[in-house]
Amino acid sequence: MFNKVEQVKHLPISFGEIARYVIVPGDPNRVPIISELLDDVEHQGKNREFNAARGKYKGIDVSIVSTGIGCPSTAIAVEELIHIGAKVFIRIGTSGSVDGSAKKGDIFIATAAVRDDGTSKQYIPIEFPALADIKVLDSLIKASAALKVPTKVGVCQSKDSFFGEVEPERMPVAEYLDTKWKAWQRGSVGASEMEAATLFTLSSIFDVGAGGIFAVETSDKETIHKITKIVLESICYMEKGVDNV
Amino acid sequence: MSKEDAAEEVKGGLLDEAVQYHVQLKKGDISDFVILPGDPGRVEFIAEHFDKAKLVAENREYKTMTGEYKGRPVTVTSTGIGCPSAAIAIEELANVGASTFVRCGTSGAMQEHTRVGEKVIATGAVRYEGTSIQYMPIEFPAVASHDMVLALKNSAIKNKLDHHLGIVQSKDSFYGQHNPEKMPIADELRQKWDAWVKGGVLCSEMEAATIFVVGSYRKVRTGAVLLVAGDQARGESLTKEEYKDNMSESVRLILDSSLDIEVGGENG
Repeated sequence: MFNKVEQVKHLPISFGEIARYVIVPGDPNRVPIISELLDDVEHQGKNREFNAARGKYKGIDVSIVSTGIGCPSTAIAVEELIHIGAKVFIRIGTSGSVDGSAKKGDIFIATAAVRDDGTSKQYIPIEFPALADIKVLDSLIKASAALKVPTKVGVCQSKDSFFGEVEPERMPVAEYLDTKWKAWQRGSVGASEMEAATLFTLSSIFDVGAGGIFAVETSDKETIHKITKIVLESICYMEKGVDNV
Repeated sequence: MSKEDAAEEVKGGLLDEAVQYHVQLKKGDISDFVILPGDPGRVEFIAEHFDKAKLVAENREYKTMTGEYKGRPVTVTSTGIGCPSAAIAIEELANVGASTFVRCGTSGAMQEHTRVGEKVIATGAVRYEGTSIQYMPIEFPAVASHDMVLALKNSAIKNKLDHHLGIVQSKDSFYGQHNPEKMPIADELRQKWDAWVKGGVLCSEMEAATIFVVGSYRKVRTGAVLLVAGDQARGESLTKEEYKDNMSESVRLILDSSLDIEVGGENG
């Protein structure tokens, strides 16, 4: 699949430059914000939308690599990250709310994702479920409880068209978008974002772990830091193997 | 949405009847925790593992017994084969007080490392079936409740049972899986099967996907334990005696997990 060369095609990093645990935000500009909570941070470079940094949290090696917006670039990042040795992916993102259970300012942990994306279908037929890894999910829930940060836990929707969600009425397929959106609302989908379905599907197929945690309708630094803290503590749980899952 | 709202939404139809149309059950007949085998003939066998049990209803493929396990109220209801009858069972059982559903079924191995006799705890299911798409578009994930998955996992460890955690495949056509080459859509069946195998799907069965999707919509807790009873690739299957012993292990795994689920509690 890959040429046996030192470099991968898109990421600014290569073999030996990646931690087992990788935080994957969408926004390259969020990489330095997340890295503020790490020790010994090294900014490793940027190519296209892929910005990479590495540091330590309580002695554990942690990488941060942005995926860019959407499942196509996320799939590239995930494939190349797995190739160079990443084992556990935790997406930190922002999201909209769908059924109203998660409100502006809430923190949402995804159990699974609606595959309203095009990329994951080019890996495995649509009937296959996009699931967060149970160990990553459980660690995120345990970490947020230990930090006393309230969260909502549930299914998220991953879409390809941002404006199809926020301004569906101006789209040629307005009715189609509306019908589907109502189904997600009735089916208790909590959050809407743009990368989890492909991240979860690929991680299942390639037998690595993945999870996702989102700031609902907000992206201020304080909330991102709160989420980052949960993610970093969840990595400690996983590293200790507390629940043997 | 509260439970009351969920009940309100279905008012005005068959589901509003005091005695549910197909399962022939009313409030008070069942516990909050329901074990779902496919086979009505397995209901009595499962209930033998309870400390006490009595038959409460039997109609079509739906046979229900309610009792107690270590002081915890439990119910077993058969769903019949396939997602259509399983969806009816969950809808009607949820209407009369069930809030946790754990399928207790059999399956065929799909991976080199899934062997007959092992128990698969499903984290999610491939929706290769027609029922769940009449509830939710196909993009929606058929996902088990994470707290139920963890309770089952803990129970399997406590009971020292060989088990796997992962995705299972739910199909509608039993013979389409067993004799794909005979089917007009042979190529599609084979292509998809190969994709599931490459995607790491552990075993094949016929009800989990709809149980998970309808469960999400009805806001109830769901899980599934699938005993690997056959292995097409190796030509292996359990003998009658082995099957009984292994099914007993599955039942105990589920019953012990019920002790971690709050009685009558909110859904997962």
